[in-house]
Amino acid sequence: MSLRQAERPARRARPAWSDVAFNIWGILVLLFLFAPILVIIASSFNVGRLLVSWDQFGFDSFLALLAKPALRDAVWISVQTGFIAALVATLLGTLAGIAMARHAGKWVWWFLGLLLLVSVTPEIVDAVALLPWMVFLGQDLGMSIFNDGIVRLVVGHSLFSVAVVSYLVRARLVGQEAKLEEASADLYATPARTFRKVTLPLAMPAVLAGFLLSFTLSLDNTVIAAFVSVSGSTPWPVYVLSALRSGLRPEIAAVSTVMLVLTLVALGLVALVLRRAGDSAADIARTMAGS
Amino acid sequence: MRRRLPGFLLAAPAWAWLTIFFIAPVAMVVWFSFGYKPSIFATQATDKLSFDRYAEVLTPTFFATFQNTLWVGVVGTVLCFLIGLPVAYWMAVKAPPSKRGLLVALVMVPFWTNFLVRTIGWQVILAPEGVLSTMLQGVGFEPLAILNTRGAVLIGVVYNYLPLMILPLFVAFDRVNGPLREASKDLGAGKLTTFFRITLPLAQPGIVAGVLLVFIPLMGDYITATVLGGAKGNMVGQLVASQFQTAQNWALGSAMAVVLIFVILLTAAAGAILVWLVSWPFRARNRLVIGTAPAAASVPVREEVAA
Repeated sequence: MSLRQAERPARRARPAWSDVAFNIWGILVLLFLFAPILVIIASSFNVGRLLVSWDQFGFDSFLALLAKPALRDAVWISVQTGFIAALVATLLGTLAGIAMARHAGKWVWWFLGLLLLVSVTPEIVDAVALLPWMVFLGQDLGMSIFNDGIVRLVVGHSLFSVAVVSYLVRARLVGQEAKLEEASADLYATPARTFRKVTLPLAMPAVLAGFLLSFTLSLDNTVIAAFVSVSGSTPWPVYVLSALRSGLRPEIAAVSTVMLVLTLVALGLVALVLRRAGDSAADIARTMAGS
Repeated sequence: MRRRLPGFLLAAPAWAWLTIFFIAPVAMVVWFSFGYKPSIFATQATDKLSFDRYAEVLTPTFFATFQNTLWVGVVGTVLCFLIGLPVAYWMAVKAPPSKRGLLVALVMVPFWTNFLVRTIGWQVILAPEGVLSTMLQGVGFEPLAILNTRGAVLIGVVYNYLPLMILPLFVAFDRVNGPLREASKDLGAGKLTTFFRITLPLAQPGIVAGVLLVFIPLMGDYITATVLGGAKGNMVGQLVASQFQTAQNWALGSAMAVVLIFVILLTAAAGAILVWLVSWPFRARNRLVIGTAPAAASVPVREEVAA
């Protein structure tokens, strides 16, 4: 190989036809992946009455977003829910992830099985199961907290996120040896202090990434939200879903564009946190694909 | 006493949370599926238990929807695999390493864009009065009539789940990348042989992950079919949803959800058995190669001497 390169240093080989084909295919698929998103972003600058038929360019739909209280409230409900759901999922998931990594035993397999079950169950099954369950808890058992719209949404959105945060934190800690914790214990730190000063900082990139991923997952959750939400606390995807029946207007595209920007900011932060912690592109892909 | 507290208690809150809000509700749905709908005002009753709701699910009307869902699920997963495999390979092997992060980000953006919004984007594209149709009419075609058909649902699901196929495959190919493939080429294997004998077998866990990550949620999909399928593109997810939301027949809806889970598990198992049987001869051959690894390693030395 190196010999041949030395023989003719200046000339570059013509790219093989297979490489060209791969490039073309890859770029075509990326275009395919972006097509509907670009269409939605473009539509949000449409001044027409209906989303599907282009009228002319303008910012009216974004102004309508500010003027329409229903839509504004829906976004606000989503942001609140996303924040609380992410907090709950991060708290539960971080503790579970640390337990799995540092206190391994036969129970870990059972717990991982449960997490796997949570993450592979189709969302529609979770959704139809949570609806009667919330009615049961709230009305039959009289726990009125479960009649609250935000509480219901937080519960529904947190399930998958708990699994995601647990995986992330476990993966991060399993990759690093427990030597630091042992050293801390040898130096007479109490378990609580070791936890706070050593284990938690070690897990921190995963905790942060998990929080942001949970936030975006909750922000975008449509199926579970459509079933458990109560009128008065409609998150924005459910608002869009109901708009689907009554006719899609450009505001729908505008709110989608705004939420897309919010999601991208959160994801950019995730990538930044993971990069800082030394992850490669493949590691980040693995983290974000949830596998 | 401080140190005797077992460490797995840290996982207890998550365990409890998932038991109360995942296991218990799903168990209740299974319980409901044996019940019935007593009157038009009640959603379900479980004082008399029977398999009648399951018999109802298997009547021709619902059975047709299950068949349709299975068709969309299998064809959609196969298409995702065929479209996604070259892309993942391109990203992990062919593209320059410096661009890899950007490419991952580019696949990630659609994946993290709201599912419903992406699907509405397709509705806008495929609508008879939409962008694509206008362009096609400009060059003399008929207005598009694909919206509200099974074809539109298929486009929608392939689109929606493609990143879930590409990302695990990318991770798998990225792991295989490097020394092993070079060794294969040094030993005189061609590009195709290297791909089928080295890269693909080693990427197998990623392939399994990708296929399951696509197939399972696709079978339970409810949004894509609602937005793009109209009346003809019925999928089980919509059927289950309508039993809970409009028909208010929780017993029947529960039975449908349970049957859906069984169909998913059975199809996945059938697929696994099929792949296992088909790959049997290849595996036998590969095992032989790995088993005689030291002998194989000595081959290039001999060839170099001969040359």
